[in-house]
Amino acid sequence: MSDDIGAHSAEPSASATDAAIRFAGVTKQFGEATAVRDLNLEIENGEFFSLLGPSGCGKTTTLRMVAGFEQPTEGSIFLEGNPVEDVPPYKRNVNTVFQSYALFEHLDVADNIAFGLKRRKVDAAEIRTRVGEAVELVQLQGRESARPRELSGGQKQRVALARALVNRPAVLLLDEPLGALDLKLRKQMQVELKGIQREVGITFLYVTHDQEEALAMSDRIAVMSEGVVQQCGVPEDVYERPAGPFVAGFIGISNLLPGVAENLGVRLAGGQLCQAAVPGDCTVGTEVQLSVRPEKIWLDQLEPGMVSLEGSIVERVYVGTTTQVIVELEPGVRLVALEQNTARVEVHDRWNIGDRVRLGWRPEHSLVLR
Amino acid sequence: MSERRFAASFLLPGGLWLLLLFLVPLGILLAISFGTTDDLGNAIYGWYPENYSRVFDSIYLPVLARSVGFALATVVLCLLIGYPVAYYIAVFGGRWKHVLVALVVLPFFVNYLVRTYAWIAMLGDEGLVNGALDTEIRFLNTPYAVIGGLVYGYLAFMLLPIYAALDRMDPSLIEAGKDLYGSRWQTFRHVTLPHTFQGVLAGTVLVFLPAVGDFVSAQLLGGPDEYMVGNLIQQQFFAAEDWPFGAALTVVMMLFLLVWMIMYLRAAAREAAVA
Amino acid sequence: MSVEAAPAPAAQSPPRRRVKQFDRPRFLRVFTAVFYLFLFAPIVLVVLFSFNSTRSLQNFEGFSLRWYERFFESESLRDSLIASVEIALITMVVATILGTMLAYGLVRARTRWSGTANVLMLVPLVTPEIVAGASALLLFTQIGLQLSLTTIVLGHITFSISYVTVVVRGRLASLGPEVENAALDLGATRLQTFRLVTLPELWPAILAAGLLVFALSFDDFVMSFFTTGESPQPLPVRIWSAIRFGVTPTINAIGSFMLAVSMLAIGLALLLPRLLGRRESGLGVLIGREGA
Repeated sequence: MSDDIGAHSAEPSASATDAAIRFAGVTKQFGEATAVRDLNLEIENGEFFSLLGPSGCGKTTTLRMVAGFEQPTEGSIFLEGNPVEDVPPYKRNVNTVFQSYALFEHLDVADNIAFGLKRRKVDAAEIRTRVGEAVELVQLQGRESARPRELSGGQKQRVALARALVNRPAVLLLDEPLGALDLKLRKQMQVELKGIQREVGITFLYVTHDQEEALAMSDRIAVMSEGVVQQCGVPEDVYERPAGPFVAGFIGISNLLPGVAENLGVRLAGGQLCQAAVPGDCTVGTEVQLSVRPEKIWLDQLEPGMVSLEGSIVERVYVGTTTQVIVELEPGVRLVALEQNTARVEVHDRWNIGDRVRLGWRPEHSLVLR
Repeated sequence: MSERRFAASFLLPGGLWLLLLFLVPLGILLAISFGTTDDLGNAIYGWYPENYSRVFDSIYLPVLARSVGFALATVVLCLLIGYPVAYYIAVFGGRWKHVLVALVVLPFFVNYLVRTYAWIAMLGDEGLVNGALDTEIRFLNTPYAVIGGLVYGYLAFMLLPIYAALDRMDPSLIEAGKDLYGSRWQTFRHVTLPHTFQGVLAGTVLVFLPAVGDFVSAQLLGGPDEYMVGNLIQQQFFAAEDWPFGAALTVVMMLFLLVWMIMYLRAAAREAAVA
Repeated sequence: MSVEAAPAPAAQSPPRRRVKQFDRPRFLRVFTAVFYLFLFAPIVLVVLFSFNSTRSLQNFEGFSLRWYERFFESESLRDSLIASVEIALITMVVATILGTMLAYGLVRARTRWSGTANVLMLVPLVTPEIVAGASALLLFTQIGLQLSLTTIVLGHITFSISYVTVVVRGRLASLGPEVENAALDLGATRLQTFRLVTLPELWPAILAAGLLVFALSFDDFVMSFFTTGESPQPLPVRIWSAIRFGVTPTINAIGSFMLAVSMLAIGLALLLPRLLGRRESGLGVLIGREGA
């Protein structure tokens, strides 16, 4: 195996059409508590797939089951078509980047990275080459003989990444790897990680609670809550067409307005009728939530045919590139609208607190959720 | 779970050793305590519970009571001396904290016997103090000498846990306490003391339990009027060659200490569960 | 404090602090100083008078090495010294191995037996040595094992294991399982992980524990007293006999020498990790772990 640089699989018969990871009815219980409930998912080869959700939703447990640190209570996990129940972590063709980096303090950077290769008895010359490639990939040239304690958080992050990638696993598991970094560094690393994934072509299974991060980096996202996948799809789908109030609320601002379904739309509690595409299985009279994304809301200069509501401005939040304008329709019913500060110079240009305003959006942007 | 099996197998060597060389001997001790000696003085097994009634004989009872009394006095003194010093080092030690602690520990690496012997050298009738002051004060062969020797011998065991607890405390708690309670003493009572309680408890146990069984201080610094149960036991095993009775004495002492040991383990487990 | 010529307005004078009888820091400082004085007085005495040219314990009459000469010239005392060192070394090695394994098992394995094993490990720490000594003596005589250096070593190892376990356990718990998981993830078997990752990360604690055990064994009296054979007897037992027979200044020399050996052991425990490239010393590892 040591002379075969490209191949990586120790497992037999990995067919090209097999999904990189397949979950079949996977449930994980810790005593009384259910961390993951009946998970069915297929992650394709070369995909950047994110598990997104709040703490305790089961995403990390799922990751650990793929790595082999936890065993499913029910169901099976298949890596490249092969079941992995009896396969210990050190025999699986996956590698993990841990949230705490978990670097080996007693080894320098180069030895940390070479660790997995040495376990596989790769010969010394090849180790040198591959470690060199990995170091270049994560841009840590010159730091090969540093000890982990001499490195910054971002640098440790890169070592952890290199250490995992150098083994050319079939799947790379990343457990909230950017959580400990400051905002600017995090944004930078997001771009780099995405680039590396594209370059290397390995399947990434990425766990995060940061929805912006997931949206920015993923080919597909699975939103999880309380052990169940609420929605799985490409970022655009998950954002523009959330499958339910949880997804709508977790990703971006959801603007949920309670109301009742009618033939042509949703009648809000305050009596207004909002045009919306009501799903077929939603009979008249069903209680629903009407949702609309803040950036889809127009203030004042509406087009004909738009859903139209009136309210007064109660708050204005200036965030640099945009301004959030919070409009109250009735007491307790508020909408957040997002306006680009493209043409404006000062904040007070258009909106004052207390102004009456008419807002609206195109009917196709109405989301009916239950 | 193969991880559990792997790690659990590590428990075997040490666990087995402790089982065979610590627990089993205790069992033998218990068994022999019901035995008696034959004509040649060898210990043989049997059923002679009168060994135990002998323990509570009027000759021996005062010795038992004295052991507990001395040990208690030792604990109290260790606490009264050890706490302030630990407090000073932890709170006011600054950069020298570690050095100061090391200095406390250092004398304890002089052999216990040699340390006690040093007190003989200092306080004996022909010792340094009497020589320097040109007096003939009888320091040794008194209960105070024995207690002093015990305190000197076990003080570190009280000081270190208290120091550790104080060191772990968040200093801002004391600041908050000063705001709340005003006086230093009140702050100490309501903030510092509760937080260091675990350390005090550990120290108390680490001093009291071994002190009850100590015989070195009583032997070297005291006379027969100061003998503790440890001396009695030692005599049975070496001079009187009455091992079963010695064993009975040991078991009684051990049972007495077991009560405190269990109370301590329970209290420590409760604290750990809360934390 | 000199008074300024220009009088300060009364309203601006700072409130004068009432000087308390026992100004907290000052009282504590004095108390602590006195404490250290009493703590070290006997030690200083012993060391000082070990160099005394006469046998007087009241006057220091000149510097001399005669008591050390007496010590090292006596064949039986030399044998005792060697015996003490041998016992301490063997105890150190065996107790460290058994104790480290026990610590690993206690921290990483979560079985029904863990709680029992934990208690079993803690009991020797709080058991009076006389109990351990007496029961060890009984064990050896009942199984017909003659009292000798071997029995002493067996006894010492028994009480030393717990010290090692407590010290190593603390360090292991703070390391956390994640690093070991990383090794597994990268292809190391559990045994390889233990050898290549766990042990290297643990070795300051193991070293500190080992040297602590060396010092404890070298200095031990009670267990040795109960389990020793005729000859050679470890140094502390010889000291006991010597004291019972009357005070002799050679004891000062022996005691000072033993202090030097113990200090060396402890010093190594504290310094070696730092010298060999690790940031922490053994002291922090040891101090926080007293009392389980």
